[in-house]
Amino acid sequence: MTEALFILVVVVVTALAFDFTNGFHDTGNAMATSIATGALQPKNAVILSAVLNLVGAFLSIEVALTVSNKIISIQDSSGAPVESLMGVPILTIVFAGLVGGILWNLTTWLLGLPSSSSHALFGGLIGSAIAALGFGGVKWDGVISSILVPAFFAPLVAGLVAGIGTWLVYRIVTKIPEARRDAGFRWGQIGSASLVSLAHGTNDAQKTMGVITLSLIAYGSWTSTDSIPFWVKASCAVAIAAGTWLGGWRVIRTLGKGLVEIHSPQGMAAETASAAIILSSSHLGMALSTTQVATGSILGSGVGKRGAEVRWSVAGRMVVAWVTTLPAAGLVGAVCWFMADRIGGAAGVAIVFALLVAASTWMWMRSKKTAINPDNVNAEWEGHLAVTEQATPAERVSAGTAERN
Amino acid sequence: MDIFLKAFSALWQVLAVGLLLGAGIPAVFSLGMRSLDTGRVPAPAGAAHVSTDGTVASTGGKIGAGICFGLCVLAVLFGIVVIIFGKQLFS
Repeated sequence: MTEALFILVVVVVTALAFDFTNGFHDTGNAMATSIATGALQPKNAVILSAVLNLVGAFLSIEVALTVSNKIISIQDSSGAPVESLMGVPILTIVFAGLVGGILWNLTTWLLGLPSSSSHALFGGLIGSAIAALGFGGVKWDGVISSILVPAFFAPLVAGLVAGIGTWLVYRIVTKIPEARRDAGFRWGQIGSASLVSLAHGTNDAQKTMGVITLSLIAYGSWTSTDSIPFWVKASCAVAIAAGTWLGGWRVIRTLGKGLVEIHSPQGMAAETASAAIILSSSHLGMALSTTQVATGSILGSGVGKRGAEVRWSVAGRMVVAWVTTLPAAGLVGAVCWFMADRIGGAAGVAIVFALLVAASTWMWMRSKKTAINPDNVNAEWEGHLAVTEQATPAERVSAGTAERN
Repeated sequence: MDIFLKAFSALWQVLAVGLLLGAGIPAVFSLGMRSLDTGRVPAPAGAAHVSTDGTVASTGGKIGAGICFGLCVLAVLFGIVVIIFGKQLFS
Protein backbone atom coordinates (compact mmCIF):
# COMPACT_ATOMS: atom_id res chain seq x y z
CA MET A 1 0.00 0.00 0.00
CA THR A 2 1.44 3.35 -1.01
CA GLU A 3 1.53 6.28 1.36
CA ALA A 4 -1.15 8.19 -0.59
CA LEU A 5 -3.47 5.19 -0.67
CA PHE A 6 -3.08 4.71 3.09
CA ILE A 7 -3.94 8.36 3.69
CA LEU A 8 -6.92 8.12 1.34
CA VAL A 9 -8.29 5.14 3.27
CA VAL A 10 -7.89 7.02 6.57
CA VAL A 11 -9.61 10.09 5.09
CA VAL A 12 -12.56 8.00 3.86
CA VAL A 13 -12.92 6.31 7.26
CA THR A 14 -12.71 9.68 9.02
CA ALA A 15 -15.26 11.21 6.66
CA LEU A 16 -17.70 8.38 7.36
CA ALA A 17 -17.07 8.84 11.09
CA PHE A 18 -17.93 12.52 10.67
CA ASP A 19 -21.10 11.56 8.81
CA PHE A 20 -21.99 9.25 11.70
CA THR A 21 -21.54 12.05 14.28
CA ASN A 22 -23.56 14.31 12.00
CA GLY A 23 -26.38 11.76 12.20
CA PHE A 24 -26.64 11.46 15.96
CA HIS A 25 -25.87 15.11 16.61
CA ASP A 26 -28.83 16.16 14.48
CA THR A 27 -31.47 13.55 15.38
CA GLY A 28 -32.95 16.04 17.82
CA ASN A 29 -33.53 18.68 15.15
CA ALA A 30 -36.29 16.58 13.68
CA MET A 31 -37.38 14.35 16.53
CA ALA A 32 -36.85 16.18 19.85
CA THR A 33 -40.31 17.76 19.92
CA SER A 34 -42.09 14.53 18.94
CA ILE A 35 -40.22 12.66 21.66
CA ALA A 36 -40.91 15.35 24.26
CA THR A 37 -44.68 15.43 23.64
CA GLY A 38 -45.00 11.65 23.41
CA ALA A 39 -46.09 11.76 19.75
CA LEU A 40 -43.52 9.02 19.21
CA GLN A 41 -41.83 6.64 21.62
CA PRO A 42 -38.15 7.62 21.81
CA LYS A 43 -36.90 4.44 20.14
CA ASN A 44 -39.53 4.57 17.39
CA ALA A 45 -38.68 8.21 16.72
CA VAL A 46 -35.00 7.50 16.06
CA ILE A 47 -35.82 4.48 13.88
CA LEU A 48 -38.23 6.57 11.77
CA SER A 49 -35.69 9.37 11.51
CA ALA A 50 -32.89 6.93 10.60
CA VAL A 51 -34.92 5.33 7.81
CA LEU A 52 -35.85 8.75 6.41
CA ASN A 53 -32.24 9.91 6.58
CA LEU A 54 -31.21 6.78 4.68
CA VAL A 55 -33.86 7.34 2.02
CA GLY A 56 -33.03 11.04 1.89
CA ALA A 57 -29.34 10.35 1.33
CA PHE A 58 -30.14 8.08 -1.62
CA LEU A 59 -32.54 10.65 -3.03
CA SER A 60 -29.82 13.23 -3.44
CA ILE A 61 -29.09 13.66 -7.11
CA GLU A 62 -26.83 16.66 -6.66
CA VAL A 63 -23.09 16.44 -6.41
CA ALA A 64 -22.01 18.55 -3.49
CA LEU A 65 -18.40 18.93 -4.60
CA THR A 66 -18.73 22.68 -4.54
CA VAL A 67 -19.78 22.87 -0.88
CA SER A 68 -16.22 23.22 0.40
CA ASN A 69 -15.35 25.30 -2.64
CA LYS A 70 -17.30 28.25 -1.30
CA ILE A 71 -15.05 28.66 1.69
CA ILE A 72 -11.55 27.36 0.98
CA SER A 73 -9.29 27.55 -2.05
CA ILE A 74 -8.28 23.97 -2.71
CA GLN A 75 -10.50 23.45 -5.76
CA ASP A 76 -11.07 25.13 -9.12
CA SER A 77 -14.51 26.35 -10.18
CA SER A 78 -15.60 22.90 -11.41
CA GLY A 79 -14.89 21.44 -7.99
CA ALA A 80 -11.76 19.57 -9.09
CA PRO A 81 -8.72 19.90 -6.80
CA VAL A 82 -6.13 22.55 -7.63
CA GLU A 83 -3.32 20.92 -9.60
CA SER A 84 -0.54 21.98 -7.22
CA LEU A 85 -2.28 20.36 -4.25
CA MET A 86 -3.17 17.04 -5.90
CA GLY A 87 -2.49 13.96 -3.82
CA VAL A 88 -1.22 14.00 -0.26
CA PRO A 89 -1.44 17.79 0.39
CA ILE A 90 -5.17 18.04 -0.25
CA LEU A 91 -5.85 14.73 1.51
CA THR A 92 -4.05 16.01 4.61
CA ILE A 93 -6.01 19.29 4.61
CA VAL A 94 -9.32 17.46 4.28
CA PHE A 95 -8.32 14.94 6.94
CA ALA A 96 -7.34 17.58 9.51
CA GLY A 97 -10.56 19.49 8.79
CA LEU A 98 -12.66 16.37 9.37
CA VAL A 99 -10.91 15.68 12.67
CA GLY A 100 -11.71 19.25 13.78
CA GLY A 101 -15.36 18.75 12.80
CA ILE A 102 -15.71 15.42 14.59
CA LEU A 103 -14.09 16.58 17.83
CA TRP A 104 -16.26 19.70 17.99
CA ASN A 105 -19.38 17.65 17.26
CA LEU A 106 -18.49 15.27 20.09
CA THR A 107 -17.70 18.10 22.50
CA THR A 108 -21.03 19.82 21.94
CA TRP A 109 -22.83 16.47 22.09
CA LEU A 110 -21.17 15.76 25.45
CA LEU A 111 -22.46 19.13 26.70
CA GLY A 112 -25.87 18.37 25.20
CA LEU A 113 -25.74 21.46 23.01
CA PRO A 114 -27.18 21.43 19.50
CA SER A 115 -24.66 23.02 17.15
CA SER A 116 -24.38 22.94 13.40
CA SER A 117 -22.47 19.91 12.09
CA SER A 118 -21.89 21.70 8.81
CA HIS A 119 -20.33 24.64 10.59
CA ALA A 120 -18.11 22.25 12.53
CA LEU A 121 -16.92 20.70 9.26
CA PHE A 122 -16.41 24.10 7.64
CA GLY A 123 -14.59 25.36 10.72
CA GLY A 124 -12.25 22.39 10.66
CA LEU A 125 -11.56 22.86 6.95
CA ILE A 126 -10.96 26.60 7.37
CA GLY A 127 -8.48 25.91 10.17
CA SER A 128 -6.55 23.29 8.27
CA ALA A 129 -6.57 25.45 5.12
CA ILE A 130 -5.13 28.41 7.05
CA ALA A 131 -2.48 26.14 8.56
CA ALA A 132 -1.56 24.68 5.18
CA LEU A 133 -1.96 27.64 2.83
CA GLY A 134 -2.03 30.74 5.02
CA PHE A 135 -4.94 33.16 5.31
CA GLY A 136 -5.14 33.34 1.52
CA GLY A 137 -6.29 29.72 1.53
CA VAL A 138 -9.68 30.82 2.82
CA LYS A 139 -12.36 32.60 0.77
CA TRP A 140 -13.41 35.07 3.45
CA ASP A 141 -16.23 36.50 1.31
CA GLY A 142 -17.70 33.02 1.13
CA VAL A 143 -17.28 32.51 4.86
CA ILE A 144 -19.24 35.71 5.53
CA SER A 145 -21.97 35.14 2.96
CA SER A 146 -22.51 31.41 3.32
CA ILE A 147 -21.78 30.90 7.01
CA LEU A 148 -21.78 33.99 9.22
CA VAL A 149 -24.72 35.97 7.82
CA PRO A 150 -27.00 32.90 7.57
CA ALA A 151 -25.96 31.83 11.09
CA PHE A 152 -27.06 35.18 12.45
CA PHE A 153 -30.46 35.15 10.75
CA ALA A 154 -31.39 31.46 10.91
CA PRO A 155 -32.65 31.39 14.50
CA LEU A 156 -34.38 34.78 14.12
CA VAL A 157 -36.31 33.85 10.98
CA ALA A 158 -37.19 30.41 12.33
CA GLY A 159 -38.22 31.81 15.69
CA LEU A 160 -40.44 34.43 14.09
CA VAL A 161 -42.18 31.96 11.77
CA ALA A 162 -42.68 29.32 14.47
CA GLY A 163 -43.83 31.97 16.94
CA ILE A 164 -46.49 33.29 14.57
CA GLY A 165 -47.47 29.72 13.63
CA THR A 166 -47.87 28.74 17.27
CA TRP A 167 -49.86 31.85 18.05
CA LEU A 168 -52.23 31.17 15.12
CA VAL A 169 -52.62 27.52 16.07
CA TYR A 170 -53.60 28.31 19.66
CA ARG A 171 -56.01 31.02 18.49
CA ILE A 172 -57.78 28.49 16.29
CA VAL A 173 -57.86 25.46 18.56
CA THR A 174 -58.42 27.13 21.90
CA LYS A 175 -61.93 25.66 22.36
CA ILE A 176 -61.07 22.08 21.50
CA PRO A 177 -60.80 19.76 24.51
CA GLU A 178 -57.15 19.15 25.30
CA ALA A 179 -57.05 15.39 24.87
CA ARG A 180 -58.65 15.50 21.40
CA ARG A 181 -56.51 18.44 20.36
CA ASP A 182 -53.22 16.90 21.39
CA ALA A 183 -54.05 13.55 19.81
CA GLY A 184 -54.61 15.28 16.47
CA PHE A 185 -51.50 17.40 16.63
CA ARG A 186 -49.33 14.40 17.39
CA TRP A 187 -50.09 13.20 13.86
CA GLY A 188 -49.19 16.60 12.51
CA GLN A 189 -45.96 16.48 14.46
CA ILE A 190 -44.99 13.12 13.02
CA GLY A 191 -45.61 14.33 9.48
CA SER A 192 -43.63 17.54 9.81
CA ALA A 193 -40.77 15.87 11.72
CA SER A 194 -40.52 13.25 9.00
CA LEU A 195 -40.09 15.93 6.38
CA VAL A 196 -37.26 17.51 8.37
CA SER A 197 -35.54 14.10 8.64
CA LEU A 198 -35.81 13.49 4.92
CA ALA A 199 -34.40 16.91 4.10
CA HIS A 200 -31.59 16.34 6.58
CA GLY A 201 -30.58 13.06 4.94
CA THR A 202 -30.44 14.72 1.54
CA ASN A 203 -28.59 17.88 2.59
CA ASP A 204 -26.11 16.61 5.13
CA ALA A 205 -25.11 13.23 3.69
CA GLN A 206 -24.37 15.10 0.46
CA LYS A 207 -21.63 17.09 2.17
CA THR A 208 -19.74 13.98 3.23
CA MET A 209 -20.27 12.45 -0.20
CA GLY A 210 -18.70 15.59 -1.66
CA VAL A 211 -15.71 15.43 0.70
CA ILE A 212 -15.03 11.76 -0.08
CA THR A 213 -15.40 12.29 -3.82
CA LEU A 214 -13.04 15.26 -3.62
CA SER A 215 -10.50 13.02 -1.87
CA LEU A 216 -10.87 10.31 -4.52
CA ILE A 217 -10.24 12.88 -7.24
CA ALA A 218 -7.21 14.21 -5.35
CA TYR A 219 -5.85 10.68 -5.08
CA GLY A 220 -6.53 10.03 -8.75
CA SER A 221 -8.96 7.13 -8.60
CA TRP A 222 -11.97 9.16 -9.76
CA THR A 223 -12.12 11.91 -12.37
CA SER A 224 -15.73 12.99 -12.80
CA THR A 225 -16.82 16.19 -11.03
CA ASP A 226 -20.51 15.68 -11.74
CA SER A 227 -21.09 12.15 -10.53
CA ILE A 228 -20.05 10.16 -7.49
CA PRO A 229 -19.26 6.43 -7.08
CA PHE A 230 -22.21 4.40 -5.88
CA TRP A 231 -20.29 2.97 -2.91
CA VAL A 232 -19.65 6.51 -1.67
CA LYS A 233 -23.35 7.31 -1.78
CA ALA A 234 -24.30 4.02 -0.12
CA SER A 235 -21.72 4.20 2.65
CA CYS A 236 -22.56 7.84 3.47
CA ALA A 237 -26.26 7.02 3.56
CA VAL A 238 -25.67 4.09 5.91
CA ALA A 239 -23.29 6.10 8.14
CA ILE A 240 -25.70 9.01 8.68
CA ALA A 241 -28.64 6.64 9.21
CA ALA A 242 -26.69 4.56 11.73
CA GLY A 243 -25.74 7.73 13.60
CA THR A 244 -29.34 8.91 13.62
CA TRP A 245 -30.52 5.53 14.86
CA LEU A 246 -28.04 5.66 17.75
CA GLY A 247 -29.86 8.84 18.73
CA GLY A 248 -28.07 11.82 20.21
CA TRP A 249 -30.11 11.60 23.40
CA ARG A 250 -28.18 14.38 25.12
CA VAL A 251 -29.01 16.89 22.39
CA ILE A 252 -32.56 15.55 22.06
CA ARG A 253 -33.10 16.15 25.78
CA THR A 254 -31.87 19.74 25.66
CA LEU A 255 -33.97 20.57 22.60
CA GLY A 256 -37.11 18.74 23.70
CA LYS A 257 -37.11 19.41 27.44
CA GLY A 258 -34.51 22.08 28.16
CA LEU A 259 -35.56 25.02 26.02
CA VAL A 260 -39.33 25.04 26.31
CA GLU A 261 -41.94 22.85 28.01
CA ILE A 262 -43.42 21.80 24.72
CA HIS A 263 -46.91 20.55 23.82
CA SER A 264 -47.92 18.91 20.59
CA PRO A 265 -49.50 21.97 18.89
CA GLN A 266 -46.23 23.83 19.53
CA GLY A 267 -44.27 20.83 18.31
CA MET A 268 -46.13 20.75 15.03
CA ALA A 269 -45.79 24.50 14.52
CA ALA A 270 -42.04 24.30 15.27
CA GLU A 271 -41.29 21.37 12.95
CA THR A 272 -43.40 22.76 10.11
CA ALA A 273 -41.61 26.09 10.40
CA SER A 274 -38.27 24.23 10.34
CA ALA A 275 -39.22 22.18 7.28
CA ALA A 276 -40.49 25.21 5.35
CA ILE A 277 -37.44 27.33 6.16
CA ILE A 278 -34.84 24.62 5.56
CA LEU A 279 -36.34 23.70 2.20
CA SER A 280 -36.95 27.24 1.00
CA SER A 281 -33.61 28.62 2.16
CA SER A 282 -31.57 25.93 0.42
CA HIS A 283 -33.17 26.95 -2.88
CA LEU A 284 -33.23 30.71 -2.43
CA GLY A 285 -29.52 31.31 -2.24
CA MET A 286 -28.95 31.29 1.50
CA ALA A 287 -28.74 27.79 2.96
CA LEU A 288 -29.52 27.95 6.66
CA SER A 289 -28.20 25.50 9.23
CA THR A 290 -30.76 22.80 10.09
CA THR A 291 -29.70 22.90 13.72
CA GLN A 292 -30.04 26.65 14.12
CA VAL A 293 -33.38 26.67 12.32
CA ALA A 294 -34.72 23.82 14.47
CA THR A 295 -33.54 25.50 17.66
CA GLY A 296 -34.97 28.87 16.63
CA SER A 297 -38.29 27.22 15.79
CA ILE A 298 -38.57 25.52 19.16
CA LEU A 299 -37.78 28.80 20.92
CA GLY A 300 -40.36 30.56 18.75
CA SER A 301 -42.98 27.98 19.66
CA GLY A 302 -42.36 28.84 23.30
CA VAL A 303 -42.59 32.58 22.71
CA GLY A 304 -45.76 32.20 20.61
CA LYS A 305 -47.71 30.36 23.29
CA ARG A 306 -49.01 32.52 26.05
CA GLY A 307 -47.68 31.51 29.44
CA ALA A 308 -45.13 29.03 28.13
CA GLU A 309 -41.83 28.92 29.96
CA VAL A 310 -38.80 29.62 27.79
CA ARG A 311 -35.43 28.96 29.39
CA TRP A 312 -33.33 31.73 27.91
CA SER A 313 -30.26 30.65 29.86
CA VAL A 314 -30.26 27.35 27.93
CA ALA A 315 -30.69 29.29 24.68
CA GLY A 316 -27.80 31.52 25.71
CA ARG A 317 -25.50 28.53 26.15
CA MET A 318 -26.42 27.38 22.67
CA VAL A 319 -25.58 30.75 21.18
CA VAL A 320 -22.18 30.58 22.88
CA ALA A 321 -21.65 27.15 21.31
CA TRP A 322 -22.64 28.47 17.88
CA VAL A 323 -20.29 31.43 18.08
CA THR A 324 -17.48 29.15 19.23
CA THR A 325 -18.03 26.46 16.59
CA LEU A 326 -16.02 27.94 13.73
CA PRO A 327 -12.96 29.05 15.73
CA ALA A 328 -12.90 25.94 17.95
CA ALA A 329 -13.21 23.43 15.12
CA GLY A 330 -10.79 25.57 13.13
CA LEU A 331 -8.20 25.54 15.89
CA VAL A 332 -8.38 21.74 16.15
CA GLY A 333 -8.20 21.45 12.36
CA ALA A 334 -5.12 23.68 12.26
CA VAL A 335 -3.33 21.84 15.09
CA CYS A 336 -4.08 18.49 13.45
CA TRP A 337 -2.74 19.70 10.12
CA PHE A 338 0.50 20.90 11.74
CA MET A 339 0.95 17.60 13.55
CA ALA A 340 0.25 15.51 10.48
CA ASP A 341 2.49 17.70 8.36
CA ARG A 342 5.46 17.98 10.75
CA ILE A 343 5.54 14.27 11.51
CA GLY A 344 4.92 13.74 7.83
CA GLY A 345 3.36 11.25 5.49
CA ALA A 346 1.45 8.19 6.52
CA ALA A 347 2.88 8.21 10.04
CA GLY A 348 1.67 11.76 10.69
CA VAL A 349 -1.86 10.98 9.54
CA ALA A 350 -1.86 7.70 11.48
CA ILE A 351 -0.83 9.44 14.72
CA VAL A 352 -3.48 12.16 14.38
CA PHE A 353 -6.04 9.46 13.65
CA ALA A 354 -4.97 7.57 16.76
CA LEU A 355 -5.37 10.77 18.81
CA LEU A 356 -8.86 11.24 17.31
CA VAL A 357 -9.83 7.72 18.37
CA ALA A 358 -8.41 8.29 21.85
CA ALA A 359 -10.19 11.64 22.33
CA SER A 360 -13.48 10.23 21.02
CA THR A 361 -13.25 7.23 23.32
CA TRP A 362 -12.52 9.51 26.28
CA MET A 363 -15.56 11.67 25.55
CA TRP A 364 -17.73 8.60 25.14
CA MET A 365 -16.55 7.27 28.51
CA ARG A 366 -17.15 10.71 30.03
CA SER A 367 -20.73 10.73 28.73
CA LYS A 368 -21.44 7.58 30.75
CA LYS A 369 -21.19 9.60 33.97
CA THR A 370 -24.37 11.46 33.11
CA ALA A 371 -25.86 8.98 30.70
CA ILE A 372 -28.93 10.12 28.80
CA ASN A 373 -30.86 7.34 27.08
CA PRO A 374 -34.34 6.56 25.74
CA ASP A 375 -35.51 5.87 29.29
CA ASN A 376 -34.58 9.16 30.89
CA VAL A 377 -34.52 11.53 27.92
CA ASN A 378 -37.91 12.97 28.91
CA ALA A 379 -37.25 13.36 32.63
CA GLU A 380 -38.13 16.73 34.15
CA TRP A 381 -35.59 19.44 33.35
CA GLU A 382 -33.92 20.57 36.58
CA GLY A 383 -31.74 23.32 35.21
CA HIS A 384 -29.15 20.99 33.72
CA LEU A 385 -28.75 18.12 31.32
CA ALA A 386 -27.97 15.46 33.92
CA VAL A 387 -30.87 13.50 35.34
CA THR A 388 -30.56 13.28 39.12
CA GLU A 389 -33.81 11.65 40.15
CA GLN A 390 -33.82 7.90 40.46
CA ALA A 391 -37.22 7.33 38.94
CA THR A 392 -38.22 3.99 37.50
CA PRO A 393 -38.38 3.84 33.70
CA ALA A 394 -42.17 3.69 33.82
CA GLU A 395 -42.37 6.87 35.88
CA ARG A 396 -40.00 8.59 33.55
CA VAL A 397 -42.12 7.74 30.54
CA SER A 398 -45.27 9.00 32.20
CA ALA A 399 -43.49 12.18 33.29
CA GLY A 400 -42.58 12.76 29.68
CA THR A 401 -45.90 12.03 28.05
CA ALA A 402 -48.18 13.68 30.58
CA GLU A 403 -49.61 16.75 28.93
CA ARG A 404 -49.98 19.63 31.32
CA ASN A 405 -51.34 22.85 30.04
CA MET B 1 -21.88 45.52 0.91
CA ASP B 2 -23.03 43.52 -2.08
CA ILE B 3 -22.90 40.39 0.07
CA PHE B 4 -25.34 41.89 2.56
CA LEU B 5 -27.74 43.11 -0.12
CA LYS B 6 -27.87 39.62 -1.62
CA ALA B 7 -28.33 38.11 1.81
CA PHE B 8 -31.21 40.43 2.60
CA SER B 9 -33.01 39.74 -0.66
CA ALA B 10 -32.71 35.99 -0.02
CA LEU B 11 -33.76 36.53 3.57
CA TRP B 12 -37.00 38.27 2.65
CA GLN B 13 -37.94 35.44 0.33
CA VAL B 14 -37.18 32.80 2.96
CA LEU B 15 -39.23 34.74 5.49
CA ALA B 16 -42.16 35.07 3.07
CA VAL B 17 -42.19 31.37 2.17
CA GLY B 18 -41.66 30.52 5.83
CA LEU B 19 -44.67 32.56 6.91
CA LEU B 20 -46.86 31.28 4.07
CA LEU B 21 -46.06 27.59 4.49
CA GLY B 22 -44.29 27.28 7.84
CA ALA B 23 -46.95 29.19 9.76
CA GLY B 24 -49.79 28.67 7.26
CA ILE B 25 -49.79 24.88 7.25
CA PRO B 26 -50.11 24.49 11.04
CA ALA B 27 -52.94 27.05 10.85
CA VAL B 28 -54.73 25.05 8.13
CA PHE B 29 -54.19 21.87 10.14
CA SER B 30 -55.69 23.63 13.15
CA LEU B 31 -58.72 24.66 11.10
CA GLY B 32 -59.14 20.98 10.21
CA MET B 33 -59.00 20.06 13.89
CA ARG B 34 -61.55 22.75 14.68
CA SER B 35 -63.81 21.60 11.89
CA LEU B 36 -63.78 18.10 13.36
CA ASP B 37 -64.76 19.62 16.66
CA THR B 38 -67.56 21.88 15.46
CA GLY B 39 -71.15 20.66 15.72
CA ARG B 40 -70.29 17.24 17.08
CA VAL B 41 -73.24 14.85 17.27
CA PRO B 42 -74.03 12.09 19.78
CA ALA B 43 -72.43 8.82 18.69
CA PRO B 44 -74.73 6.20 17.17
CA ALA B 45 -74.30 2.65 18.47
CA GLY B 46 -71.14 0.96 17.22
CA ALA B 47 -69.62 4.16 15.82
CA ALA B 48 -65.86 4.54 15.44
CA HIS B 49 -63.77 7.50 16.74
CA VAL B 50 -66.11 8.18 19.63
CA SER B 51 -64.75 10.85 21.92
CA THR B 52 -64.82 10.51 25.71
CA ASP B 53 -67.91 12.76 25.85
CA GLY B 54 -69.82 10.28 23.65
CA THR B 55 -69.84 12.37 20.47
CA VAL B 56 -68.53 11.90 16.93
CA ALA B 57 -67.63 14.52 14.34
CA SER B 58 -70.49 15.74 12.14
CA THR B 59 -70.48 15.00 8.42
CA GLY B 60 -69.89 18.63 7.57
CA GLY B 61 -67.07 18.73 10.09
CA LYS B 62 -65.46 15.70 8.50
CA ILE B 63 -65.65 17.22 5.03
CA GLY B 64 -64.07 20.45 6.21
CA ALA B 65 -61.39 18.54 8.06
CA GLY B 66 -60.76 16.37 5.00
CA ILE B 67 -60.12 19.46 2.88
CA CYS B 68 -57.78 20.98 5.46
CA PHE B 69 -55.82 17.79 6.13
CA GLY B 70 -55.72 17.12 2.38
CA LEU B 71 -54.07 20.51 1.86
CA CYS B 72 -51.49 19.62 4.50
CA VAL B 73 -50.75 16.30 2.82
CA LEU B 74 -50.35 18.11 -0.52
CA ALA B 75 -47.90 20.50 1.13
CA VAL B 76 -45.86 17.57 2.45
CA LEU B 77 -45.83 15.97 -1.02
CA PHE B 78 -44.70 19.31 -2.45
CA GLY B 79 -41.95 19.32 0.17
CA ILE B 80 -40.77 15.88 -0.96
CA VAL B 81 -40.71 17.04 -4.59
CA VAL B 82 -38.60 20.03 -3.53
CA ILE B 83 -36.20 17.76 -1.63
CA ILE B 84 -35.65 15.52 -4.65
CA PHE B 85 -35.92 17.88 -7.61
CA GLY B 86 -35.40 21.26 -5.96
CA LYS B 87 -32.16 22.11 -7.71
CA GLN B 88 -33.66 21.49 -11.16
CA LEU B 89 -36.86 23.32 -10.33
CA PHE B 90 -35.37 26.47 -8.88
CA SER B 91 -32.06 27.09 -10.61
